[in-house]
Amino acid sequence: MESDNRGIAICLTLILAVALSLMPLSGDWIVWKPNFLLLMVMAWIMRWPDGLGIFFAAAVGLLADILLRMTPGHSVMVFALCAGAIALVSRWAKYLSMLQRMLLVALIITLVAVLEASLFQIYGRPSGIEHLPMKILLSIIVWPFIDRLVARLQPRRS
Amino acid sequence: MRNVLNRSSALLRKLLTVTLFAILLMIVDNFTPWLKPAYSAADNLVRPLYWIANIPLRVQEWSAKSLTPRSEIESDNLRLSKESLIYHGQLQRMSDLAAENMRLRRLLNATELLQDSVLVTEVIGVSANPLSHTLTIDRGTTDNVFVGQPLLDAEGLMGQIIAVHKTHSTALLITDSNHALPVQVLRNGLRSIAEGRADYNRLNLRFVSPTADIREGDKLVSSGLGGLYPAGYPVGTVLSIVSRPGDNFLKIDIDPSAEIDRSRHLLLLYTSRDSAEGLVE
Repeated sequence: MESDNRGIAICLTLILAVALSLMPLSGDWIVWKPNFLLLMVMAWIMRWPDGLGIFFAAAVGLLADILLRMTPGHSVMVFALCAGAIALVSRWAKYLSMLQRMLLVALIITLVAVLEASLFQIYGRPSGIEHLPMKILLSIIVWPFIDRLVARLQPRRS
Repeated sequence: MRNVLNRSSALLRKLLTVTLFAILLMIVDNFTPWLKPAYSAADNLVRPLYWIANIPLRVQEWSAKSLTPRSEIESDNLRLSKESLIYHGQLQRMSDLAAENMRLRRLLNATELLQDSVLVTEVIGVSANPLSHTLTIDRGTTDNVFVGQPLLDAEGLMGQIIAVHKTHSTALLITDSNHALPVQVLRNGLRSIAEGRADYNRLNLRFVSPTADIREGDKLVSSGLGGLYPAGYPVGTVLSIVSRPGDNFLKIDIDPSAEIDRSRHLLLLYTSRDSAEGLVE
C-alpha cells in the first residue's frame, strides 16, 4: 500500500515537472529555465536510493527526449549519469543540510551541463553554455521547493 | 567494505548498460529512419501534457480578456476600424499595382507571380528545449497541411512544417540552428543565406563578401531560391555588420521580422504551386 502511494506520488510529481518544463516562456527566460524533470529525478533518488536508481532515471530521460524533441538517447545518458552520481553519494547525502544539498545539486548540474555541451558540440549544434551560470542559479533556487515537496510525499516510517 | 565494492560494481554495470543503450539509440536515430514511427506515436501520446502545460497561459489570456475595461475595448475597436480603413485603401492601390506588375511581367515574358492563400492557425505548444526551436500548431492532415509548408506571422516568415499529424503539426522555426533559408536584400537584390543560431532574436547572414553592398538597416526578404519559401516575404533587418581583417566573409546579425517567441496566431501558406504539385487537395 505504502509502495502504491509512493508510485502515485512519483507520477504526480513527474507530471508537475513535465508541465513546468513545457510551460511556454519568452525567449529571454526559456534559456535559463531549470531542467525540472532532472531536478525531480534527483530529488526522488536522493530521498529513496534503495527503490529508484539508474533505470528509473533512464526511463524519465527517454520521456524527456520525446517531450523536448532531443536526439533520442541524449537525456537517457545525461539523466542516467546524474542518477549514478547521486546513487554514489546517496548513503551520506541524506545527512547533509539543505545548503550542502543545494551545493551538491549545483555541482552535479554543472557536470551534466558540461557533458551536454560536449554532446551538442559533437552534433555540431550551439551548446548554450553561456547561459549556464544563470541556469544553475535558478536550479539552486527552485531545488529547496522540489526537495521539500518530495520529502513531504515520502511515506512516514512507523 | 566488500558490500560497498559490490554496490559500486553493480552501479557501474547498470550505468554502462544504460550508456550503451543511449549511444545505440543516438546511432539508430542518426543513421536510420526506424525510430520515426515510434516518435510520431509518442508525440500523439504526450499531447495531453502540452495541453496541461498551456493551462496557465490560457488562464492568463482569459483573465486579461475578462478584466479589460469596456472603454479600452471600445477605443481598441475604434483604432482597429481606422486601421482597417487605411489598409483597405492601400490594398486597392496594391491590387492596381499588382495588375500592372503582372502586365509588365507578361511583356517581359517572365513567369507570373504565384497567388498565395493562407490558413489561420494557433500555436498550441512550444519546444521546452531552448536549443531546439520548434512549435506545435493546431492544424494537421485534416487541413491539408504538408511537410515543408511555410509558416508566417503578421510580421514575416516564421518557419516551415517538419512533421504532420492528424490534428496537429510541428514547425521548425527560422531561428533553429538547423535551419537556413535563402534571402535577398530588398534594396539591391543581393542574395545570401539567413541561418538560425538558437537565439529567438537573432539570425546570421552567411557568405556575404566584405565588398558586398549591404548596410545596417537593410530589409531582407525570402528570395524564393531553393523552392521551399515563396519569394518576397519579410525575413528580417540587418542589425550589425562586422568585418574582421583576414576573414573571407562579413559577420552579419539579423533581427527577425516575425515575433518568433511571441506570436500566437500564425498563417499557413498555400501557394498555387503547391496545388499544381498536388500537395493540396
